[in-house]
Amino acid sequence: MLRIGVDIGGTFTDFCGWREGEQDITSLKVPSTPPDFENGFKQGFERLLERLRPEDGESALVMHGTTVSTNAVIERKGPKIAFFVTKGYRDLLELQRMGVRNPLNIFENRTKPLVDRAMVFEVEERLLRGGTVETAIDEEAVEALARQAMEAGAAGFAVALLHSYANPHHETIVERAIRRVVGKDAEVSLSSEIWPRIGEYERATISVLNAFVRRRMNTYIGAVENYVEARLPGSQLFVTRSNGGAMAAAEARAFPVHTLLSGPASGVTAVQYLGRAIGEHNILTMDMGGTSTDISLVRDGEALTSTAAEVGDFPVVMPVTGIEAIGAGGGSIAALDGGVLRIGPQSAGSFPGPACFGRGGTAPTLTDAYLLAGYLPEALLGGAMHLNINAAEKAMASIAEALGTDVATAAEMCVTVASSNMVAGVLPYLARQGVDPEELTLLVYGGAGAIQGPLLAAEIGVNRVLVPSTPSVFCALGGLVSELSNDTMETVHGRDVDGALIARTFAALKEQAADWLARQASPDRLVSQTFECWAAMRYVGQSFQIDVRLPDSAVEAEDLKAMHDAFHQEHERIYSHADPGAAVEFVDLRMRVRGAMSIPEPASPGTVMTGAPVKGVRPMRFQGHVYPEVRIYDRANLGLNEAIHGPAVIEQPEATIVVPPDFIAHTGAYGAIFMSRS
Amino acid sequence: MDAVRTAIMSNRFNAIVEEASAAVYRTAHTTFVKLVQDYQCALATAEGDMFAYPMMSGVNVFIGSPLRPTLDAIGRDTLKPGDIIITNDPFSTDGLVTHLMDVTLLYPIFRDGTLIAVGWSFVHASDIGGAVPGSISPAFTEVFQEGLRVRPAKLYEEGVLNTTIKSIFEDNSRIPAELWGDIQAMISGLKSMDRRINELCDRYGRDSVELGMRDVIGYAETKARAVIRNIPEGVYSFSDYLEGINEGQLAYFSVTLTVRGGEIDVDFTGTDPQLAAAYNLVTGATTHPYVVQCLITFILTMDPLTPRNSGILRAIHAHAPRGTVLNAVFPASGGSRAASATRAYDIIMGCLNQALPEGVGAAGAGMAGVIVVSAPDPRTGRDRVNVINTIHGGGGGRRISDGVDGTEVRYSQRMVPVEVIEVETPVIMRAIRSVPDSRRAGRFASGAALEMEMENTANRAVMTVRNMNRFVFAPWGFRGGEQGLLGQTIVNPGRPDERSIGKISVLEMAQGDVVRITSPTGGGFGDPMERDLGAIAGEIDNGMLSRERAADVYAVVFDADGRIDRAKTEMRRRERRKPDVPDFNFCAERKRQDHVWAMPARRKLASMALAFDLRIRSQLVANIHKRMLAAGITVDDDMLQLIVSEEAARLSGHRARAS
Repeated sequence: MLRIGVDIGGTFTDFCGWREGEQDITSLKVPSTPPDFENGFKQGFERLLERLRPEDGESALVMHGTTVSTNAVIERKGPKIAFFVTKGYRDLLELQRMGVRNPLNIFENRTKPLVDRAMVFEVEERLLRGGTVETAIDEEAVEALARQAMEAGAAGFAVALLHSYANPHHETIVERAIRRVVGKDAEVSLSSEIWPRIGEYERATISVLNAFVRRRMNTYIGAVENYVEARLPGSQLFVTRSNGGAMAAAEARAFPVHTLLSGPASGVTAVQYLGRAIGEHNILTMDMGGTSTDISLVRDGEALTSTAAEVGDFPVVMPVTGIEAIGAGGGSIAALDGGVLRIGPQSAGSFPGPACFGRGGTAPTLTDAYLLAGYLPEALLGGAMHLNINAAEKAMASIAEALGTDVATAAEMCVTVASSNMVAGVLPYLARQGVDPEELTLLVYGGAGAIQGPLLAAEIGVNRVLVPSTPSVFCALGGLVSELSNDTMETVHGRDVDGALIARTFAALKEQAADWLARQASPDRLVSQTFECWAAMRYVGQSFQIDVRLPDSAVEAEDLKAMHDAFHQEHERIYSHADPGAAVEFVDLRMRVRGAMSIPEPASPGTVMTGAPVKGVRPMRFQGHVYPEVRIYDRANLGLNEAIHGPAVIEQPEATIVVPPDFIAHTGAYGAIFMSRS
Repeated sequence: MDAVRTAIMSNRFNAIVEEASAAVYRTAHTTFVKLVQDYQCALATAEGDMFAYPMMSGVNVFIGSPLRPTLDAIGRDTLKPGDIIITNDPFSTDGLVTHLMDVTLLYPIFRDGTLIAVGWSFVHASDIGGAVPGSISPAFTEVFQEGLRVRPAKLYEEGVLNTTIKSIFEDNSRIPAELWGDIQAMISGLKSMDRRINELCDRYGRDSVELGMRDVIGYAETKARAVIRNIPEGVYSFSDYLEGINEGQLAYFSVTLTVRGGEIDVDFTGTDPQLAAAYNLVTGATTHPYVVQCLITFILTMDPLTPRNSGILRAIHAHAPRGTVLNAVFPASGGSRAASATRAYDIIMGCLNQALPEGVGAAGAGMAGVIVVSAPDPRTGRDRVNVINTIHGGGGGRRISDGVDGTEVRYSQRMVPVEVIEVETPVIMRAIRSVPDSRRAGRFASGAALEMEMENTANRAVMTVRNMNRFVFAPWGFRGGEQGLLGQTIVNPGRPDERSIGKISVLEMAQGDVVRITSPTGGGFGDPMERDLGAIAGEIDNGMLSRERAADVYAVVFDADGRIDRAKTEMRRRERRKPDVPDFNFCAERKRQDHVWAMPARRKLASMALAFDLRIRSQLVANIHKRMLAAGITVDDDMLQLIVSEEAARLSGHRARAS
């Protein structure tokens, strides 16, 4: 049995492969092929199979991460969707709870909804609090609306009725009516089915997003699934999701909304995997690519969960791995602005990209600065990609002139300013989580993460840096090792909640969760399954809540006090104060199920050293000082525990690692490079 | 200014204040801070100039608030490490505090025994005492009704808590524990700033850090000046009315904007005396960011990368005469001062529209009404006061875009979900909708009016809506854009007992009563004859614009199939186009008032009133304004002199007799 992780990004498609029972993980990268991403997938898949050499009849579990759905939303490319909503709320999607993003921009507008007002249909029905029926729904009237929608060209349907989180009955009647008119294959996304959370705009948005990306994901995943099945009969395709887990392909085709934030989430899953193996439980993750840098946090071995994520300015309130974008990427452009050096927010993007890529870019980017400061070699990807230092110098010349210095010095200044930009993003982020940087290890990945990350660590007071053995295919690894995972929830806000109700609700949620798991994979593929009870709780009278993990014992024993204690503790941890005497209430209850399949034991790569570790020297600049002969190490030839004193650079085909002055690096367990301040 | 050091220090300072702001938010106790984020912290130089201000959380209207007068009054040499100043007094801080609810701390930051910076923080306390829970009512006439007031005092002296000061705050709030919790939250943010500034000095040296402070202020100033230089030089005047709480109560807001030599002078002379209502704002002797918010927003719109600090204000010189509603003196009430800041924004926008050849935008709906329902909690049966939502209104059309439906960009507050309201209160929200045909015509239309329909299901309920406005004076359109719509409130629409009640102050609702609030809308921008036909077709298609109205205001001609006939429409538009349109399209009521009270006379009335006893000023202006309006004669200078002295004598006489 093979296990294969695939991560498709805008520029590259990454693969990791592993055969059950073996130690080594194989990885590779191929260019992505937008808009027909399945071509890139096929090319990479074939190359991976050449390396893995499947035996006759050997099948695979393929864990697939894709941004097809995310891109559909961001590019707003989707079919015409009809949206059904309770009478009085035709403008729900337009008004977006009235918020505008930036009140300091006179010309600011709200995001245009994915459904035009002309395609919004008001349904004469009304539920009240607790889901009680005030005005019953008229199925025939809904059928008439469905006919109107069909005539107007609706290719998909989203439904969100008021209070459907408490009573889905009316929404299911709308679904039935639509199917009767449009046909039983009609694509209907119900808000109550996907995420029955109180809050009509956010819940409606989930149903609309799901409807909007459904057709495209269905086609894409269908194509990949057929290909995998034809190539390795008996294989099963899974799709990674925004909560850091994975789900069966069929589930992803029906509920693609769960894949919208899966890309960065997979990277954090890989961080957890590696962290667990090497005993690092508090990790700041940093994924730096060409256009942006994402950070996230693993605390006590668990990835931070957010219920306030966004995709293309639309709220996504299901629990997802919390990721924060902090700006600059390798393509960020340096410019002088009012006499001050700035990096970004303009970016050369992946095309034309940095000047040194020689694709016509003329603006000085951070990547050009890395090259000029000596950090990057002139040949990347094992020589497959050449960097043009003359183009970089030319691009940087204007900055150097304005700063009254040479290009190399100017380049290092750019890197320094980029670090300080990131400081301005990272420190407040950590403050919001109530975390002290000194408690953390920084784990860097992505194309530029291992260059800028160690320099950033020195700035924010993080003392340890970790570079995984395959930093540039880390998200694919995250897919490979991810568990099947799903959340189910019930809103209890406004109900009389006691221990018995909670126990009963969790029992029902657990049944749903077990059913879900059974639909994803046959039980013999699972090595373990776990069920976690979560609750959104708050002090009575407050309007903001926090997520609390409830002890299983408390739920089973219907012990309300123990649950309240868990809340007080969590409140104390997050806000540094709690009020154990105050009344507490529940907003919603959530069950997270995890089904683990067998995954590789993290292992050090085979130590087949073919040459000397030091392959040369280059001059470099750090903090305004020139170091004329900085040693360049070849990662493939580093011995275990070999100490490398900074400044130094460690090169591998798809990544470059900077060891700043005052840092010592060594290769340790699982092929990772550990750096610490000396 | 060093190119690299400025960049690094700017980033570092931002990190410090964002981190501290996050710490205040994270550790604050009250819902007001958590939900509405009405709090902030920032860093100022030892002189009192703010050099770093957070943007990721907290309120953004105090970028560059004046610390100097307070620091001058305290005396910087009396400050010692470990001191923390507390105050909530607008008067003795000359506008550092703008209403009593904003409990404010100052925290001197020392390096090597020298004061190098001052940390500032405030939270809007959910209750600071006074006549009503929450301390705010627009109807309050004096500051005494609004609660406790404490001039700057040392809450901590060299690290030692002054328990007397602490207990004064606790004893005078309905929620003492929460208030003290929020104060502690501020202190955690301030301490974090102190620690980080000192770490920065460890790393870069005190001189570099202090130079950095000046550099980042200089950087903001450079960028703001670059924006200002693109505004044509000249003198621009504008005025508008703020509606008060009582029938016919008004405040005249007036400004003269002088753009010269890359600087802007903002003179609010001619604005009415402070009101016997809680709309008064204390702004002090220097340029207060709250009254020039429109200019700050304009600068940040034109150059979003401008650092957010007091440097933005360096080239802006604002002046509001003492005793006016925009620079009130003791004992003015000011809980609802935001209403005045809104109108100050509008009149500056009126000047920018004249200054810039392409204009900026028409007036927005110009109100932020806070809807509060007091009724039995459906879950507990106990009486509870619920803030249902804030209602704004459609934004004005702008030079590159239609206005926003149902709100204006300056209000970033999000609505409470309907489902949450219905669970937590006895109110059923029957509809929240954009009103079809309510977008005002223009090349760029206004945003739609917002309609909220609320039904009371409890056996009794009392609804109050504070700060409703634009029920008398419609927002103005610009360069041919249609004027805005007035707000209205209807009780039991469509029933036999339907009635229109105007602005709500206090509304008793019986079980089953429905109230429908329709917000005002802003005005349209530019000639409706130039509106894009595709946009019109889209609005017709999605039900926001009727064909009748399209034909009427946009001169659209339809063919036999009901589609827009482009050729005929163009022809009709050419016929309908007016050659000379005034810049501003005012409503009939405004024109009626302007006919009697042209700007010079009305300004003069406001200014003359300031010469009289504080207690009669507002009444003097109101009486004369109404009297002349009733007479319908255009007021001239001579007439004004006469009636002012006459009315003043009468009012003083009344007073004399009364006492």
